[in-house]
Amino acid sequence: MASQIYQAVVDGILVGGVYALMAVGLTLIFGVLDIINIAQGVLVILGAYLSYSLSTRAHIDLFTGLLITIPVMFIIGVVIHWAFIRRLRGSERTSMTLLVTYAAALIIEGVLYMLYGADNVQLKASYTTSSVHLLGFYLPWIYVYGFILAVVLVLAVYLLLYRSRFGRTIRATMQDETAARLVGIDVNRVSALTFGIGVAVTAVGGMMYGATNAFNANSGYDLISRLLAIIILGGLGSIGGALAASVFMITLESVVTIWEPTWAIAVFYAALVLVLVIRPQGFFGRKEVRAQ
Amino acid sequence: MPSDSEPALVLDGIVAGYGGGDVLRGVSFEVPQGEITCVVGPNGAGKSTVMKVISGLLRPRQGSVTLAGKKLNGRSARQILKAGVVQVPQQHSLFKDMTVAENLDLGAYTVRDRAAVRQRTDRVYEMFPQVKEWAGQKAGALSGGQQRLAEFARALMLEPELILLDEPSMGLSPIVLKSVFDAVKRMNADGATILLVEQNARAGLKLAHRGVVLENGTVRLAGTGREVLEHPEIGELYLGGAAKTA
Repeated sequence: MASQIYQAVVDGILVGGVYALMAVGLTLIFGVLDIINIAQGVLVILGAYLSYSLSTRAHIDLFTGLLITIPVMFIIGVVIHWAFIRRLRGSERTSMTLLVTYAAALIIEGVLYMLYGADNVQLKASYTTSSVHLLGFYLPWIYVYGFILAVVLVLAVYLLLYRSRFGRTIRATMQDETAARLVGIDVNRVSALTFGIGVAVTAVGGMMYGATNAFNANSGYDLISRLLAIIILGGLGSIGGALAASVFMITLESVVTIWEPTWAIAVFYAALVLVLVIRPQGFFGRKEVRAQ
Repeated sequence: MPSDSEPALVLDGIVAGYGGGDVLRGVSFEVPQGEITCVVGPNGAGKSTVMKVISGLLRPRQGSVTLAGKKLNGRSARQILKAGVVQVPQQHSLFKDMTVAENLDLGAYTVRDRAAVRQRTDRVYEMFPQVKEWAGQKAGALSGGQQRLAEFARALMLEPELILLDEPSMGLSPIVLKSVFDAVKRMNADGATILLVEQNARAGLKLAHRGVVLENGTVRLAGTGREVLEHPEIGELYLGGAAKTA
C-alpha cells in the first residue's frame, strides 16, 4: 500500500506539471487582464492539434514543433484579443469576456471538428510510451520532460513579469489601468501582448496534454473547469501558485484514486472549497493586488 | 500679481461631457508659463473634467486646447503626455505593489534614453530627498501624504511643460497638506508650470499666481489668485466669506 501511495504522489507531481503548463496562461490572462478566458481549454486542444499536424504530416518532433506552435498560438491569441476583447469596456467587462471567449471557443471547436473530425487522437513519439526506472518508481519519460518544461516555463513567465521592463508595464496595467495610461503605457498594446503570451504558453500545455491523453475537439470543456479551479486555488495571477496548485490538486486526486476512483473528482473540488474557506485568496494570491 | 508671461496652455471655448450632457459649456482660460494657476468652483462645476480634457482622457466636443502654440485636442493621452503634459490624478495613482524607485522609473516610461532617466532620477531625488529615502519601499506602504510627494516626483521624471494636479489635498490632514503644498511651490520655483484643481479653494488660491472660478461648466471669474480670493461675491459663494487681506 505504501509503495502504491508513493507512486501515486510521484504521478500526481508529474501530471500536475502538465496541468501547470495549461494553467499558467489562464492565470496570466485572468490575474493581469481580468479576462475569464473560457476558450483556454479549447486553445489547449488547438495547441495539441497543431502539434499533431506537425508530427503526423511534417514528421517534426513534438518538442521541436513547439518552436512553430508557440509563435502561431501567440498570433492566434493577439487575433482573439483584437477581434473579441479589445472593444469591451466598463464595469461589465469581465463578465462580458466570459461570453465573448465562449463564442471564440465555439468557433475554434467548430473549425477543429471540420478539420479533424470527432475521432480521438493522441500525440506519439518514442518517449510517449517509454519509462525510466528511478529510485524504485516507474516514471514515464513524457511526464518527466513535461515537469521539467513546466518548471522552466513558470520560471520564464516569472522572469518576464518581474525582471523585465515589459513585465513592469504588465504589472502596472494590472494594478491601475488609468494610472498606467497616465504614465504613457499603451494599455491596449500591453493587453493584446499579454493575452498573446497567455495563449502562446497553451501551445506547450496542449502538446503535453495531447501526448498524455487521447483528445478530440470537445476535450477542452473537461479541462477548463479544472484549470479554473487550479488558478483560483493557486491565487489569481500567481504564476508559482498555478504550479503549486496543479501539483497539489492532481496529487490529491491521484492518491484518492487508489481507494475510490469515482470520488477523485469530488475530492478535487472539495479541496478547493476547503482551502478557499481557510484562505480566500488562494495559496499565493494577494488580497488587494488587483485594481478594481 | 498680474502676469506678463506667455501662456503655456490656452483653453478656448471647450465644450465637453459624458454621454448626452455637457459638463463644460464653453470654457476658456489661459495658464501662464512658469506660474501656478488654480481652478476652483463648487462640486459638479467641471473642474476634474477640465483636467481630463487637457490630458486627453476625454475628448472635447468643441473648442481647442493649445500647448505652447501646438494643438492638443484630438491627440491621445499618450501623445499629450509626450508633448509634455503630465497629470497627477485625484485618486492616488502609484503602483502600490511596486517600489517607489520602480514607480519613478515608470514615470519616465516614454523616455528611451536610460542615461537621461538616471540623470532625471538623481535630479528628482535632489528636489525630494524624502522620496529618495523611500526608494526601496513598496509604494502601498507609504502614507497618503508621502504617496502624493512620490507622485509629484514621478510626474517630474518627464520634465514636463505642464503639470496638472487634480485635488492634491484630497484626504490629507492640515499638517500633511502644508508639506504637499510646499512641494507644489518647490516644483514651481524650479520652473514647472502648474495647473491645480482644488476643492480647498482658499488654500489653493493663496498658493497660486492665478485663479479661475468655474461655475456650471463656464468660467465665472479669472484673475490673479488674490483678486479671486478677495472678490466679495466669490468669497461669499465658495470661500465661506471674502478673504481678509493679509
